[in-house]
Amino acid sequence: MSQVEKKAGLLRRTSSSKKPLKEKVVLMYDEIFAKEDPAKNNPRFWDELFLMKVNLEYLETKLETVDGEEVQKIQDNINSLFHHCVQALGEEHQIKVVNALQTLCALFRGVHQKNKSASGFDIINMLMGFDKAEQRMKDLMERLDGLLCGEGSESLKSLCLKLLLCLVTDNISQNTILEYVMINSIFEAILQILSDVSSRGQHGYDAVVLLALLVNYRKYESVNPYIVKLSIVDDEPTLDGMGMVVHHALTEYNRQYKDKEEENQGGFFSTLTSMVGSMFIADADEKLSVQTNEAILLALYEAVHLNRNFITVLAQSHPEMDIPTTPTTPTPTTPTTPLGTTPPSLDMMNNPELPLDPNLQTSNLLITFLKYASIVMQDTKDEHRLNSARLCLIILTCIAEDQYADAFLHDDNMNFRVNLHRMPMRHRKKAVDKNIPSRPLVCAVLDLMVEFIVTHMMKDFPMDLYLRCVQIIHKLLCYQKKCRIRLHYTWRELWSALINLLKFLLSNETTLLAKHNIFHLALLVVNLFNMFITYGDTFLPTSNSYDELYYEIVRMHQVFDNLYCMVLRVSTNTGQWKEPASKVTHALVNVRAIVNHFNPKIESYASVNHISQLSEEQVLEVVRSNYDTLTLKLQDGLDQFERYSEQPKEAAFFKELVRSISLNVRKNVSLNTLSQDVLLKEFSTIS
Amino acid sequence: MADAEVSLSPALLHLSPAPSAISPAPRPKLQPPPPPHSEQPSSPSASPRSSSPSGSIGSTGSIGSSSESSRGQTPPLDIISEDHMEMDLRADQVIDPEVALKACQEVLLQVKLQNREVCEQQHWVISPDTSSIKEEDEEEVEEGSSVKDESKLFDVSMAISYLYKSKEPGVQAYIGNRLFSFTDSEVDFYLPQLLNMYVHMDTEVGDAISPYLVSKLKITVSISPYLITVSISPFLITVSISPYLITVSISPYLITVSISPYLVSPETTFFGQTRDDVPLRWILGIVLAFVLDEVLFTWWAFPLAEEVPVVLDEVLFTWWAFPLAEEVPVVLDEVLVGLKGIHRCRGGITFSLLTAWLLGAYSSDMHISTQRHSRGNKLRKLILSDELKPSNPPADPHRGGSVSGSPSPSHRRCHRRHNSNNNVDSASPFPPQRVPFWGRARRTGSNPRVEAVPEELERLRPQRELVKSLLGIGRRLATLPTKEQKTQRLITELSLLNHKLPARVWMPTAENQHHVVRIPNTQAVVLNSKDKAPYLIYVEVLECQSYETSPVPTRIPETRIRSARSAESLDCGVSAANANANLSTMTSEHRAGSFSTVPNYDNDDEAWATDDIGQLQVEVEAQTSSSDNISQFSVDSITSLESREPVFIAAGDIRRRLSENLAQTPTSFRRDPEDPSAVALKEPWEEKVSRIREGSPYGHLLNWRLLSVIVKCGDDLRQELLAYQVLRQLQSIWQQERVPLWIKPYKIMVMSSDSGMIEPVLNAVSLHQVRKQSQLSLMDYFLQEHGSFTTEEFLSAQRNFVQSVAGYSLICYLLQVKDRHNGNILLDSEGHIIHIDFGFILSSSPRNLGFETSAFKLTSEFVDVMGGLDGDMFIYYKMLMLQGLIAARKHMEKVLQIVEIMQQGSHLACFHGSSTIRGLKERFHMSLTEEQLQVLVEQLVDGSMRSITTKLYDSFQYVTNGIM
Repeated sequence: MSQVEKKAGLLRRTSSSKKPLKEKVVLMYDEIFAKEDPAKNNPRFWDELFLMKVNLEYLETKLETVDGEEVQKIQDNINSLFHHCVQALGEEHQIKVVNALQTLCALFRGVHQKNKSASGFDIINMLMGFDKAEQRMKDLMERLDGLLCGEGSESLKSLCLKLLLCLVTDNISQNTILEYVMINSIFEAILQILSDVSSRGQHGYDAVVLLALLVNYRKYESVNPYIVKLSIVDDEPTLDGMGMVVHHALTEYNRQYKDKEEENQGGFFSTLTSMVGSMFIADADEKLSVQTNEAILLALYEAVHLNRNFITVLAQSHPEMDIPTTPTTPTPTTPTTPLGTTPPSLDMMNNPELPLDPNLQTSNLLITFLKYASIVMQDTKDEHRLNSARLCLIILTCIAEDQYADAFLHDDNMNFRVNLHRMPMRHRKKAVDKNIPSRPLVCAVLDLMVEFIVTHMMKDFPMDLYLRCVQIIHKLLCYQKKCRIRLHYTWRELWSALINLLKFLLSNETTLLAKHNIFHLALLVVNLFNMFITYGDTFLPTSNSYDELYYEIVRMHQVFDNLYCMVLRVSTNTGQWKEPASKVTHALVNVRAIVNHFNPKIESYASVNHISQLSEEQVLEVVRSNYDTLTLKLQDGLDQFERYSEQPKEAAFFKELVRSISLNVRKNVSLNTLSQDVLLKEFSTIS
Repeated sequence: MADAEVSLSPALLHLSPAPSAISPAPRPKLQPPPPPHSEQPSSPSASPRSSSPSGSIGSTGSIGSSSESSRGQTPPLDIISEDHMEMDLRADQVIDPEVALKACQEVLLQVKLQNREVCEQQHWVISPDTSSIKEEDEEEVEEGSSVKDESKLFDVSMAISYLYKSKEPGVQAYIGNRLFSFTDSEVDFYLPQLLNMYVHMDTEVGDAISPYLVSKLKITVSISPYLITVSISPFLITVSISPYLITVSISPYLITVSISPYLVSPETTFFGQTRDDVPLRWILGIVLAFVLDEVLFTWWAFPLAEEVPVVLDEVLFTWWAFPLAEEVPVVLDEVLVGLKGIHRCRGGITFSLLTAWLLGAYSSDMHISTQRHSRGNKLRKLILSDELKPSNPPADPHRGGSVSGSPSPSHRRCHRRHNSNNNVDSASPFPPQRVPFWGRARRTGSNPRVEAVPEELERLRPQRELVKSLLGIGRRLATLPTKEQKTQRLITELSLLNHKLPARVWMPTAENQHHVVRIPNTQAVVLNSKDKAPYLIYVEVLECQSYETSPVPTRIPETRIRSARSAESLDCGVSAANANANLSTMTSEHRAGSFSTVPNYDNDDEAWATDDIGQLQVEVEAQTSSSDNISQFSVDSITSLESREPVFIAAGDIRRRLSENLAQTPTSFRRDPEDPSAVALKEPWEEKVSRIREGSPYGHLLNWRLLSVIVKCGDDLRQELLAYQVLRQLQSIWQQERVPLWIKPYKIMVMSSDSGMIEPVLNAVSLHQVRKQSQLSLMDYFLQEHGSFTTEEFLSAQRNFVQSVAGYSLICYLLQVKDRHNGNILLDSEGHIIHIDFGFILSSSPRNLGFETSAFKLTSEFVDVMGGLDGDMFIYYKMLMLQGLIAARKHMEKVLQIVEIMQQGSHLACFHGSSTIRGLKERFHMSLTEEQLQVLVEQLVDGSMRSITTKLYDSFQYVTNGIM
């Protein structure tokens, strides 16, 4: 063995000095791509092959360049190569295993590059041959499963995951090879990686991304066993582990964003961090715009959506940087390339965190997620960010619908300070973070929604996001009404945000109507007010807040009047908006009753007392004294909502999202697999 | 002296048997007194070798074998005496048994004699000059003394007093033995005194106490539900296991195994099989496995069904294969050690730990390197055993070697195994728990040199780890600046701790046996304290038969809560409860009265099975049928769906309901980040229990209980413990004398000289919190909480108040309790006041400020609640005080003694100066007549009321600590 090593080393050195001389491994590849059986002349051909350092580039380009007819001729040899690769995975010598894994990577990728247009069956035939495909893939999956679960080297495990990522990200919905991954599940191996602290630290990220992608394989067309399995996992350490990986990734993102923000603001500290930062992260350009991490977000979504038990993980609190539980291994949470996988070496920066820092905030996954969402939602112009924001809102929708999640969102014993990021805007100063009181988590969710509502009234109106946003608020209110939770929240902010939204819809009616059904959104908003008006007694914190609601409505009555005029106008015309607009007219009944009831009273009060401008207190006084003569109409189904379902509404979004994620992941996997020198070095010393 | 114990044993034979013992082992006959043990090591280092067999033998009456004796003739030694001798490192202080015997008999005689005298004295005293005992029983005047049984007369309190005061070693030794005749709980009350004496007093006293302690720390008991009792003589081993009675006896040249017909009790099962399914041979195999496990063989882990019978043959075979004459002693030695594994402390782990903690705390006042110091510490170390292990083997290698010759192969093998086991365990702070009960009981090491170590270590460790982590949290919290950060940090830390539960751990403050399964971390609160961080946690436990042997419950993941119960109903329960907590919903009475307007979620839980909130709404509301509430609207809204007729509601109604709903909740406190405990403490305990139960994955289990405990770090709780003892003593005196004074002693666990745990007083908030939150005077608060003057509730609350104020006034006077600001006085939901924080008692007062000179705290607010100075209740108050003082005076000795003994060797601030005890004694005013006492009480009350210093002190506290 060592002799061969030495030989290989020698060879390499010579080959690098003299270009024209081909590496031995390249010669061997050439043999494979000849028509002859390479083992015919050299019975130890395959043994030797896997002792050589893989030349991925060569192999890949070779595969790409072979054209259709040639493929037929060399198919036997490629089948044989594949077969021997799988065989080599079971070898004792780790060098062979490494080489085999890499060769497999190259095979899958090369074949795929070449056969973009071709159907999956061709690929299978080319690699394995139809008749043997099932057996080969079964063997392969079993070997990988064994390697992942075994005691072997960590780098090896990481390579296995990379190979799987290669496989999975390959044109995910049409990749028939994946059928075999479905049949021969590696779900348990992934879970095992996540449940173990040290392996989670090193491979957690890859494992979670892999899982998210596997779950999304043809999820709408067929029964995906990974979906079924993920939905029933109830092992705490595993779920915690998964949460931890997501938590780390999101935290890291938040941290990077903050750094960048500080950098832009200048100051001594930021220059220092950027200096330190640039020491670790080579490409500073990349850092300037911190990109979203949709893969990890997708994983979070699938966990929240599919697995009810995962909800508890959201509330699992731990110190912000979770050092005590993972003391030994740094976790790769710094995706240099945002959507991709991470080389495990970048994490040195996280280590010096002190677990006992008094300034260290207690955190949990949900808080981190909310912060993340607040950053992502700031800017929805670029498509990635739009998708991320949408996904964030979908996740929040799922959370708001879950009763257990609601329970801890509203748990008065779990108070947190959540520093949401707020977009600097012209008309408001950047909020000073430190003064946020410690409140139940639901307040942070509501804050986030309010923040979104006020900051996205723009020409390119994200209607879809607004709808989700308003629906989330509605779901939370329904829960509060049902369980009679009187949240001490400054509802006023929400009310004025909603009224402003209505105002925006009105003033941009024509442009918006061209693209969106604004009546639906208006209906939802008006119904939120109806919730407060008719059920306020069940969830408002003080009697004063009910008065304030009326005050706010009366104060902004212009908006409601205009809205009423507009919907009345549209609903009397015939057209596609007739129906939705008339719904809004009906919904406005109570608001209009309030406006019409109190406005004259206020005016008369003003004239009686000869005051031109009533103070807030005076208006409230009028409101208080005139409740009894006001009759409201009870509306149906205010406290009912449509439950979230992925299919069919969101199917298209997720398909597209998964496609873009897998492209990105693939791009980054390819970068990493090419630089495996470290790996080889490690193993050459082992053996 | 060892022999004195044995031969004197009328008392010894009272030895309380293990409570669950079904068939106690046949007790070997008592041996004739041996000559004084001349072979005790003269060097102070204990001989591990000789200690091993003795240490392994638990029961007091059983016969031990010293290593020497196993070689040749068999002079059995009393095991306890040997133990304590070795522990005390006494070579030269052996009391001549003859003398001791004689002295004790004398005492006994005197006691009996004096019983016959009819004595009118109210108090018994001991006159030290003659060491004769005059004693008196309070209750037996009418009974006539002739029928008096001495054991009835001679109570623990007396025993302790004699122990303390007698200078006669014989008397002390006798009394030491008499300790065995009291019930555990009686003696346990005086444990701090015993230990303090043990640590600080003469060697003789220590020697007298140590047999009791040691035996309690070491006595054989049970592996439940199968009780195994083992008694050992040099060449006779009897193992009995009930309900199958199996006897394994080993004599030098013969092993006989006899199995008696077995007693079947119907309900128990054996390893999951019913009794009848288990062939006897297997059980025998198991027994032998217990006896011999890992000493000679390594097969205990085999699945029972198949291997054991085979192995059994092997056991017997191997056993026989030993060359008889040579090897048996060695083997036997090991068997003895092996048997150690199934020994259980009579006092249990709690006792061991408690003893260890107290020893640590009481030793802390001493100077290093005093001989006495090493006694207390040595016992402590022996209990905790961590330090013993490394230090002992090199101590006397020669001795160890002399017995076993060269270590046999089995020695080495087993030792290795034991080590590896330890390594595995040390990886996780709490060792793996989910092994069958007998697996836990297993002792692994066979090397005699470390015999006590692994077992003790293993046994005590989970509990010690728990305490350590709780105290560690407290220390870390103290470094954080704000209450809010502390609370958050606490919640986080506890959630990490939760991951390690359930485990074989329990709350030392609790009455019943249980295992801790979960700490509802979000419920924990940090208590008010300026620079320390005491905190209150709630602990979910599952009650069990015995924490030592019952299997530890399996973990139910937090997530399982949803599958265990209908998720939605649960959530609603939780949140409804939350809402209750939050918005301070109604107490149950309120609920009964006014709930017609609000659907009662608690009761409707079962009805909710569906997922959709909207549907739920409909269902729930359809069930309530009152006409003017919100649910009516929902019902209507459903019907209106069908009929399409508009429903109208008045806005005024909504607004009214809102304010009514809010007004319904007057008795709760608002959340205050600076005082997080106020809300938590105000919530009625019952509501809290049911709320937490709803949210717990273990809540559905019948044996689920909720406990609470305050963890204190950085505070010396020894004074608190002393106060607790005095309070308990006074409480029982008043009970005995039928004086209706009310006090609430709360339990204290001293963990070290600066940490410990306190049992919280339930349903009580401090007067400070009452004031700050309600902004009412105490009287108005009473009216708000209990209704108007004439209601039954108010009157009983007022009576409770008076009785408790009277009780605590006396306590404060007698103990000179200082630092009485409103943060240190609690008010419970029934109107009692409870004083807490006895940090300044007797001779100490806070910062030596001249404040607080009054006898006790009696503010005008208190007087108002008692109905004013001329009210009947105020007269009743003074009368109660007088009665209480008279009753206390009658039993002064019992109180004094507690304090006096604790003064020994103590550096506590409350013993500062020389006149502490004298002052305390004077405050009982023995010399006054009852009339004079009455005047005294009047004076005290008067003085306290007029005292402006109380007021001054309160304002001082307000200025410095913000306490109202």
